[in-house]
Amino acid sequence: MSTDASHTPPPPTPPLAVVDGLLAGRVAIVTGAGQGVGEGIAASMASAGATVLLAARRAETGEPAAARIRDAGGAAEFVRCDVTVRADVDAAVAAAVEGHGRLDVMVHNAVSPPGPPRPIQEIDDETIALQIATSTTASFHCAQAAFPHLRADYGSLILLTSPAGIEGSGHLPLYGTVKGAQRGLLKSLAREWGPAGVRVNAIAPVAWTPAMDVATEANPTLEARLRGRTPLQRIGDPADDIGPVAVFLASPLSRHMTGQTLAVDGGRYLGL
Amino acid sequence: MARRHALIVGSGDPADAVAVGLEARGWAVSRMADDTLEWTDDTVATRFPDRDPIDLVVHARYPAPARRRSALVELSTEDWCRRADEPLEAAVRLARAAHADLAASSGTIVFLVPLMASAGGEGFAPMATAAEGIRLLAKSLAKTWGAEGIGSHAITLDPTAFLDEADAAGMAEANSLHDPPLGRVPDLTNEVATIIDELTTDDFSSLIGASLVVDGGLWMPG
Repeated sequence: MSTDASHTPPPPTPPLAVVDGLLAGRVAIVTGAGQGVGEGIAASMASAGATVLLAARRAETGEPAAARIRDAGGAAEFVRCDVTVRADVDAAVAAAVEGHGRLDVMVHNAVSPPGPPRPIQEIDDETIALQIATSTTASFHCAQAAFPHLRADYGSLILLTSPAGIEGSGHLPLYGTVKGAQRGLLKSLAREWGPAGVRVNAIAPVAWTPAMDVATEANPTLEARLRGRTPLQRIGDPADDIGPVAVFLASPLSRHMTGQTLAVDGGRYLGL
Repeated sequence: MARRHALIVGSGDPADAVAVGLEARGWAVSRMADDTLEWTDDTVATRFPDRDPIDLVVHARYPAPARRRSALVELSTEDWCRRADEPLEAAVRLARAAHADLAASSGTIVFLVPLMASAGGEGFAPMATAAEGIRLLAKSLAKTWGAEGIGSHAITLDPTAFLDEADAAGMAEANSLHDPPLGRVPDLTNEVATIIDELTTDDFSSLIGASLVVDGGLWMPG
């Protein structure tokens, strides 16, 4: 049987879930929101009624992303933030609290690009330090800075990890390592913050992102191969497929869930 | 036949106990303690200039600060880096430095990780972060290095292997409503060292990227 899915029409996709108003009155920060999954989550949360601060390192991506959400009727603003710098994260949290009176959801999505596939013995010191800084140090910054506000009204911390952080990655071993590390953090914080009513969960997505665009451009067979190995036979859309799951995790619909990682990947990685 | 050479990385238990156990099973053991922070590609060759080629690396390096219980909100960024980022980075650097030896010997690298890596640990978020990253490093290395004949595995140990009695008891209670079915926790010197030794043999060459839980049945995931 051919595994080439490029000639196979994707299966019917149900209409989007209606999430209007689910996050009305809530305030969220999404890091790495200038593009890709981060922008998709920000857009989805805004469409659900949240006021969203798009925290991004570069204004040239963050400003237009926030403008696109506002143009669609959402409440969004850009805040410049390098998540590896504690003062930047503190400033983003202050912008939420001082500007909007509260912070209910912190989504840490920002990541340093993993670069081309390389075995661990060929990865340089700088890449190791940067990957750890954006994944674990930044998760610490976001978690600690947000906690006093999240605990005020049953807030939620959401980390964006990866299937590579669950099953490892031969192509990107360092990426698999740091994404796994985030899961150790989320499970521990779920235990630590549960008594305070703060929930901590993660999403492991497979979705169209700028990085996926680059990968499929470099490897023209990748998309068909990936689709062929995905039961739902398509790669997720950041706003329509990943965003609503983040809305769910941020909302009272998931109020009895903490310490979990949801693979939002069309069934690509089963048995995690 | 020349004795096989094991490099044990880390101070205190479980590194100390496993080193004793492997020596008892005929291994020539070299040790690298927690204070080795600057790992480079020639770290091993520099530290052990007259050594035999390394056949086995056992990583159990969780420096004392990482094993200290603290609420996340009480940590400074410096605390976090010392307890989470530095141990994680050192493990990656160790793997990078050990590759040439392990490729030459078709050797094995084993990472010993605390239960909190997979299960989470209240008060131990930094250590759990580093440890789960290290457990995933073992899987990722297996995928990359398996074709070179290098074995890479992680072994999750019960809390007493890494923590003091009170903290270990608290973590055991948080993770299980029953005592270990084994009736005790596994002995590091004999039982855990034996499992590590066996993982290096041809009998287990088809075991790739294993993530074993050796805790007497305290925690049965999945």
